[in-house]
Amino acid sequence: MTAVIRPDLGEKLAGRVVYGTDLEAPGMLWGALVLSPVAAGRIVAVDLAAARARPGVVAISAADVPALVGGAVGDAERPPFPAGPITYPAQPLAAIAAPTLEEARAAARAVRLEIEPAPVVADLESVFPDWPGPDVGASPHVAGHVRARRGDVDRALAGATTVVRETYRTSGIHQVALEPHACLAEVGDGRWHVRSSTQSPFGVREDTASILGLPEASIVVDGAWVGGGFGGKGASLLEPYALLLARAAGRPVRLALSYREEFLLGRSTLPAVIRLETGVSDGRIVARRVRLLLDVGASLPGRDFATGYSIGFLLGPYVTPTFEVEGYAVRTHKSPFGPHRAPFAPQCAFAVESHLDEVARAAGIDPVAFRAAHLWTTGATTPLGQTVGPFGLPAALEAARERARAWRATLPPGHGIGIGVGFWSTGTGAGGEVRLRLSPSELTVEQGEREIGSGSVVVGVAAVAARRTGLPRGRIRVEYRPTSTAPFDSGVFGSRTTAVLGRAVDAAAADLLGELARRLGAPGEATLVEAGGDLAAEAGGARRPVRELLTGPEREEGGLAAAGRHYGPETSIDESVVEAGTFYGYRDYTGAAHVAQVEVDRATGAVRVERYAAFHDVGALVDRASAQAQVEGGIVMGLGTALTEEAIWSDDGRLANPGLLDYRIPTLAEVPPIDVEFLEGFPGGGPFGAKGLGEPPIIPVPATVAAAVRDACGAHLTELPLSPERVARALKLA
Amino acid sequence: MAGFDLVAPRTEEEAAAALRALPPGEAVVLAGGTDLLLDVDQGRIAPRRVVSLRHLPWRTLDWNAGSLTIGSTLPLRSLEADPELPRRLPGLHEAVRAVGGAALRTRATVGGNLGRAAPASDLIPMLLVLDAQVELVGPDGVRSEPVDRFVQGSRRTTLHRAELIRAIRLPESRPSAFVWQRVRPVNDISQLSVAAARSPSDGRWRLALGGVPPRPVRLPEAEAELVGPRPPAAAVARVAERVGAHPALVGDRRASDEYRRRLAATLVARAVASAVARSEGFP
Amino acid sequence: MSDRPLALTVNGRPVSAPGVPDSERLLDTLRWRLGLRGTKEGCRTGDCGACTVLVAGRPTLSCLTLAREVEQEAVVTIEGIDADPVGQAVRDAFRDAGALQCGYCTPGFVVALTGLLKEAGSAAPAAALLEDLGGNLCRCTGYAAIARAAELARERLR
Repeated sequence: MTAVIRPDLGEKLAGRVVYGTDLEAPGMLWGALVLSPVAAGRIVAVDLAAARARPGVVAISAADVPALVGGAVGDAERPPFPAGPITYPAQPLAAIAAPTLEEARAAARAVRLEIEPAPVVADLESVFPDWPGPDVGASPHVAGHVRARRGDVDRALAGATTVVRETYRTSGIHQVALEPHACLAEVGDGRWHVRSSTQSPFGVREDTASILGLPEASIVVDGAWVGGGFGGKGASLLEPYALLLARAAGRPVRLALSYREEFLLGRSTLPAVIRLETGVSDGRIVARRVRLLLDVGASLPGRDFATGYSIGFLLGPYVTPTFEVEGYAVRTHKSPFGPHRAPFAPQCAFAVESHLDEVARAAGIDPVAFRAAHLWTTGATTPLGQTVGPFGLPAALEAARERARAWRATLPPGHGIGIGVGFWSTGTGAGGEVRLRLSPSELTVEQGEREIGSGSVVVGVAAVAARRTGLPRGRIRVEYRPTSTAPFDSGVFGSRTTAVLGRAVDAAAADLLGELARRLGAPGEATLVEAGGDLAAEAGGARRPVRELLTGPEREEGGLAAAGRHYGPETSIDESVVEAGTFYGYRDYTGAAHVAQVEVDRATGAVRVERYAAFHDVGALVDRASAQAQVEGGIVMGLGTALTEEAIWSDDGRLANPGLLDYRIPTLAEVPPIDVEFLEGFPGGGPFGAKGLGEPPIIPVPATVAAAVRDACGAHLTELPLSPERVARALKLA
Repeated sequence: MAGFDLVAPRTEEEAAAALRALPPGEAVVLAGGTDLLLDVDQGRIAPRRVVSLRHLPWRTLDWNAGSLTIGSTLPLRSLEADPELPRRLPGLHEAVRAVGGAALRTRATVGGNLGRAAPASDLIPMLLVLDAQVELVGPDGVRSEPVDRFVQGSRRTTLHRAELIRAIRLPESRPSAFVWQRVRPVNDISQLSVAAARSPSDGRWRLALGGVPPRPVRLPEAEAELVGPRPPAAAVARVAERVGAHPALVGDRRASDEYRRRLAATLVARAVASAVARSEGFP
Repeated sequence: MSDRPLALTVNGRPVSAPGVPDSERLLDTLRWRLGLRGTKEGCRTGDCGACTVLVAGRPTLSCLTLAREVEQEAVVTIEGIDADPVGQAVRDAFRDAGALQCGYCTPGFVVALTGLLKEAGSAAPAAALLEDLGGNLCRCTGYAAIARAAELARERLR
């Protein structure tokens, strides 16, 4: 454990921290949304009369929006309330504000909806039961299409000694942050203010401005402490409605989702069908074909981020000379696909790893040796033509194999051990900026992100500042500023925060320390030290208290400020392999290898994970305790994806399990001991060579558990989650 | 979710009167509230009056020469903590610990669980194999009924209007076991459960299935084939297989019928084995 | 009934709250009437444990408890948990073990664990204690650090 205790722990343990759901303002009204009862249909009428007749109730729907935004015109494809048909279940059709939550909910129920239900496209396999033919191009069911190819896959497969063809199916899963979405909006003095539990204040500002048609500068987003994000709070969701209600009411409006609504309205990973075909000769992969059908729900055509990004994970991290990869983003009547932690990558790793195990077995090769033989190394070229930077995954896999060997020596009969690997790209998002402000007694990092729990801001950014300046952590304070005064940052997601903001801190520190040295009449950079209860700067043999080095105006403004920014280099891929759509380049490759030992109850199919080990390529550790915490948390989240989590939809397209009883995340009682080892030495693009760590831990988990299950009982599962019933069924068929 | 009036009578008579004062369905009973308040929140019911039982003297637990009488408003957590329970009614101890989580059991009650009569109730199958009797009190006086008759289906019991569950009586201590299968090991609803018990006084076995619609059921044919404190493995296996063909084993969103059938056979074998092991030196 | 002020003892202090409807949940009384927002609102269906408080020393789901049902009883929330040496030990253990990240589930865990340790005593078997904490969900930590904190608290209380 680190000797330094995270600065936010004390306040959180005292119950004093204000999350989105805790926000309150004098005179505030409580908001509630009116949600579509059907997944698809034509809106005939949204009659607010009965709701408005109730005392103190403010009710708005599509017709009210133009006047509320002063005639501004937002993105026509994303109005707050649908102008055209209903395209997903629980789509917001109206919004209510009232003096109490009960009154708001009662008024919401009083809104009279007249809807002509339309046929529901409930799942992607009803659209495409088989792989679609080439004529599917302009189908309204397709929101995106990507295709890339290198070489002649058909010919290579025809010549291969062994060819394995399989289909994998993965389920929709939710982020399940314990805190539902919540925000508090107030409109006044020409500005639209919203405080929100969000991973990305600037993202919310941009999104909300787009939806409402307002200039970004007129919207001020201030964050709150966030009770978990995991990708679900990276874009705006409630803010436009809260702002419209606040504008209509002339009072602050608090709008939060019930937990049921959190499931219904949340945007997350949706189901997928993955067809994989691999040919092997003489122990080498000669060709691979990947065909992805990804349910993107009601995503708009051309706005699918997932397919071109995710499909790369179905190709790697393995050397693949000849390949063909194609993906369709399939529209169904579900809430649009949204980012989860390492969006869709755990599902990809599950399919790839399980498939390559099967391929190896079919070719008579040890599955782990097979993967090791094809694994990318530093400097390798990926199928999309990128060069892999320093890459610790081979070392991680070797460490995992060692561990698996040690465990196998004492493995009871009927239990199994499995290994899984996964890779990730970090440092995404446009970039970030920070301001450092040095006062006589402390260094403040002024920035625009919120601490969502990982510690990437409250610890990570502060740790970088500490290391860079030489100051102890106790002298570093992180300030959370609203978008009106904060330096820009893209958001806390994508495992990018410490890396990007850390680099920005680094740049600002260089500027700051250089300026201090200059004021001391020395070249280079100064160092900062504690002296007599305050801070002093040292350079060129001289030391002066910071207080004496500040100008009068600087003292008034709180200290000497320095700005730093980091915008990562543009990434590019080999576009010559792209035949359709947009593929995304990755950057700062990182990876992990995991080992699981499981026991399978062959009669019930229940899987119990007995112990777990993880080996992570982290580049450089910024804060060991936070890193350990991220890995432990990500692994357990992955166990949920692997074993128990599954969104279930009815035939009418509505979510059948919008609650924590029937959508099962892991509890304390089922968590195995987890051993974590960090591999440093393969530096990445973050400060001191760090690589992002927020998402990699979840990625290999389903693959690892599936491998262990197979080892334990021979069942080869091709569907997630590995529920007891699925395992039992696979055993029966085996 | 309109508001409701809450009354907290101090006697059985007051409680009955409070229930009878309103048309059927407009006044409901509150024990622990863990089911009732969910029903209100989810809009399944909208009572005008809630009659709280918290002042009634029914948070009791009394052993009497091996028989146990549980007051209907005793919290499950208190039942669970009774030092005699694991020894005398081990299956019931297991069943109680299977309900929700510890904090839920601080308020949830035996009476409430019985009154809710959920098909996946963890307690009802166990009460069936323990030959539990439910004691009811109402405007027509006191009556007693086997749980097997009292529970009729999901949310359906033989409760008369303004009648209350006062106590549950278990006639004797029995070696017993409760086994279940769920997706998640704690804090989950059972896909299937089996309760097994053997009576030391008449020597016969009791078996019950839980998690099947419309209500947990006894398995008299299977019971008849289990003879003696240690039935031969072949007989147990045969019984287990036969239970696997029981018509109550249908599919729903928690489990397919095929899986339930497979589970039934497995869980019956395990429940019987566990109860047999507990027969050794049973007091 | 509604016109009579609600009388509770919260964190050792008597409280009299007027105008509390009979249907109000203890969770909402604590958070919005008494300003004690340390107790968190999660699922409101009794499945996550974020709303756990102590009533008469026992862990209780305040989202499924009517405020009027616990009238005259002693309620303890995260804000007052360290008035009790067990509560203080649990809070310190969570801090020292770094057993929280976003912190949203933390008040529920700290209060639940305090209640369980007070009920069972620090010598109670660890396995049963961890199983009893199965009603509290966490999404950030993976529970490993929470289990360490629970063990640390037990050790320190022995």
